[in-house]
Amino acid sequence: MILAFLRSVWAITRKDIRVWLSNRRNIAATVIPPIAFLLIQALGSAAVGRSPVALVTLDSGAKGQQMQQIFHNADVFRITDATPEQAATLYKNIQVVAVITIPSDFTQRVEAHDPSPVEVHVNNLNLDFTNDIRRSVPDAITQFYQAQGSTSPIKVTVQEQNLRARDIQLFQYAVLPTIILLLTLSGLVTASIATSREWETRTIKEMLLSPTSRATIIVGKVLAGFVTTFLLGVLVLLLGAALDWTQPVGIYWLTSLIILAMIALFSTGLGVALGAALHKSQPVIAISINVAIYLFFLAGGIGVIAFEPLWLQNIAAYIPLTYGIHALEQAVFYSSSDLFGRDMLVLGLCALAALGLGVLSMRRGIAN
Amino acid sequence: MSRISYNLRVIWACMKKDIKVSLTDRIFVILGVFLPVNFLILFSLFVLSGGQAPTAVVMNDTGPYAQQFYHSMAGAHSFILQKATASEASRLIQAGRIVAVVTIPADFETRIQNKQPVKVDVDINNLNTDFTNDIRRAVPLSITSFYAKAFPNVVTIVPHETDQYTQDTGYIPYLTVSILVIALVVGGLLQSGTSAAREWENATMKEVLLSPASRWAVVTGKMLGALVMSLASVIVVLAVLIFIIGVHPLHWGAMIGFTLLTLAIFIALGTLLGTLIKQRQAFTGLAFGVAIPLFFVSGAFGPISFNVPILQVIAQITPVYYAIVLQQYAFHGFTLNTYGLAANTLILFGFAIGLILLSALVLRRSTVAN
Repeated sequence: MILAFLRSVWAITRKDIRVWLSNRRNIAATVIPPIAFLLIQALGSAAVGRSPVALVTLDSGAKGQQMQQIFHNADVFRITDATPEQAATLYKNIQVVAVITIPSDFTQRVEAHDPSPVEVHVNNLNLDFTNDIRRSVPDAITQFYQAQGSTSPIKVTVQEQNLRARDIQLFQYAVLPTIILLLTLSGLVTASIATSREWETRTIKEMLLSPTSRATIIVGKVLAGFVTTFLLGVLVLLLGAALDWTQPVGIYWLTSLIILAMIALFSTGLGVALGAALHKSQPVIAISINVAIYLFFLAGGIGVIAFEPLWLQNIAAYIPLTYGIHALEQAVFYSSSDLFGRDMLVLGLCALAALGLGVLSMRRGIAN
Repeated sequence: MSRISYNLRVIWACMKKDIKVSLTDRIFVILGVFLPVNFLILFSLFVLSGGQAPTAVVMNDTGPYAQQFYHSMAGAHSFILQKATASEASRLIQAGRIVAVVTIPADFETRIQNKQPVKVDVDINNLNTDFTNDIRRAVPLSITSFYAKAFPNVVTIVPHETDQYTQDTGYIPYLTVSILVIALVVGGLLQSGTSAAREWENATMKEVLLSPASRWAVVTGKMLGALVMSLASVIVVLAVLIFIIGVHPLHWGAMIGFTLLTLAIFIALGTLLGTLIKQRQAFTGLAFGVAIPLFFVSGAFGPISFNVPILQVIAQITPVYYAIVLQQYAFHGFTLNTYGLAANTLILFGFAIGLILLSALVLRRSTVAN
């Protein structure tokens, strides 16, 4: 009995995988965009948080030169030293966000304790860039005062404690949600189309008239979608590791793979349920993409959920992918299994619910 | 019947047929209309915080200087502040509800008055360096502005800012205009590409190619059909942007013109890709998959010239970049590159004409055997 079940599942799985493999355009359409997205993010991250500015130092005195050096060492700007004319040209040609000018009498004024303004011309076309400048210039001024040591008039200093052992670069941080997006999209789209196609090509008739149980058909289809989706996820994770972006350590390779497997299972189960419920590939594609986008975004896919308003954080708590992203971040970046049990439980229950929905939809489909 | 009149009839017939076929698939029509709106809403949701860090301040000292320090933090454009006890703050940061805890020590007032060193503890949930560095820079900013206000004679170095535009533009009003362009990309690609691919999947392309109708007329009719279908989603997206998000165009005429031009480009591209790929499933995956990378590569977040050179080069070979430049002008009056309005518009026209010709050419060279 079990042997017959396994043979049927294997036959359905093999058939679906063969159909998927025969369509190279589909494979390309699934794999290329996330990889392109990863590469673009890696390229773009070089500029994130480091705005291009022109620095005009009109003061050759000690304090002016010290201030200039601090701006250079601050690692918050991409600085071009310029004359006032060059700076004006760069600013006009939108090559720099701001022009910072250290005035010619800066040293004199600082030593005389007179007000010593550092001139900042900002292209304030959006607050993201503008606030970077508004934060970074005072930061440099604070460093200038701190360099005076015990004679500094600024007595307040910062004692920073980080919650996590290591800092994660922005593009590294973005890799994991991208893998999750790939898994969700691929699982939903591949499985839903593979299922709905059975109705469109009327092959479902043969399947349903065969002595195979409905559960066997569902398991076979889910397994096929799961295998292709999971392998894609592993491929991108390995690519990330090869580029040294995402490199789990030791046992956390295993936990990372388990997390990928759970997400692949959830998205595939949901895809089969959708395909069995709708029977037509066109609406199934559109719904699958919408569902994948919503799940990805609401789980904090392109932002950092902790930075979002509370109501958005509350919504994210009901999105299964939130737990997948959390578990994967813990495993890959922090070699930690913090809340791993909770995350796996949520993902496992959601995967089971999706499979249940699939069986239900198939029953309804048969009745229809 | 003259040739022109015959071609016009073909165009009309192809357009009408494509619209009718699209309308038979109601779920796809509804989703096609709302998919671009989804992009707009979901991308906007995740810039709601505007990069401001939810932060708890533990006020162990409530004296005037401590209060003044708190107000300096509030004015730093970097934090969403809430006062909390040490235990509340610890619970909130552990639960991931906030990303930083700033603790003002109990002897803050006394030490400031006595000009003694004082340490402000800052606990950071260092999730990623971009967000963490904002906090790392914002606390010194608060310290400097605190001193500049409390002791103007002591801290004499202050930034003197001159802004290019009379008022600041928030991140959401700026970014949503870029998202509008991506919504147009997705809407245009989906409508036209699925319509073109459907002809091949259903093998109805055979009849179209065997008919005496001009291929140019067929392509034009199909594109017009997709344009009509896309207009519904454009109207919904613009309504959400203007009436719900509240971003009003500065130049209405330019906004409408650039919207139609952008739509025409991506309808042509969709028709081209749909004709080449010939499968709705593969096409839809590709259209969606291309849209998100395009968004990140095309200067959606600010002038592309502020970015690294390789991204500047990539951006300038995509029409999305020019569409964003022109829509930012239409909505906010911004100049994002040095090409000028006319040149940017001409480049977009070039893309439109090129893609329309290319998709007609591809259809012309298509054969039933393929």
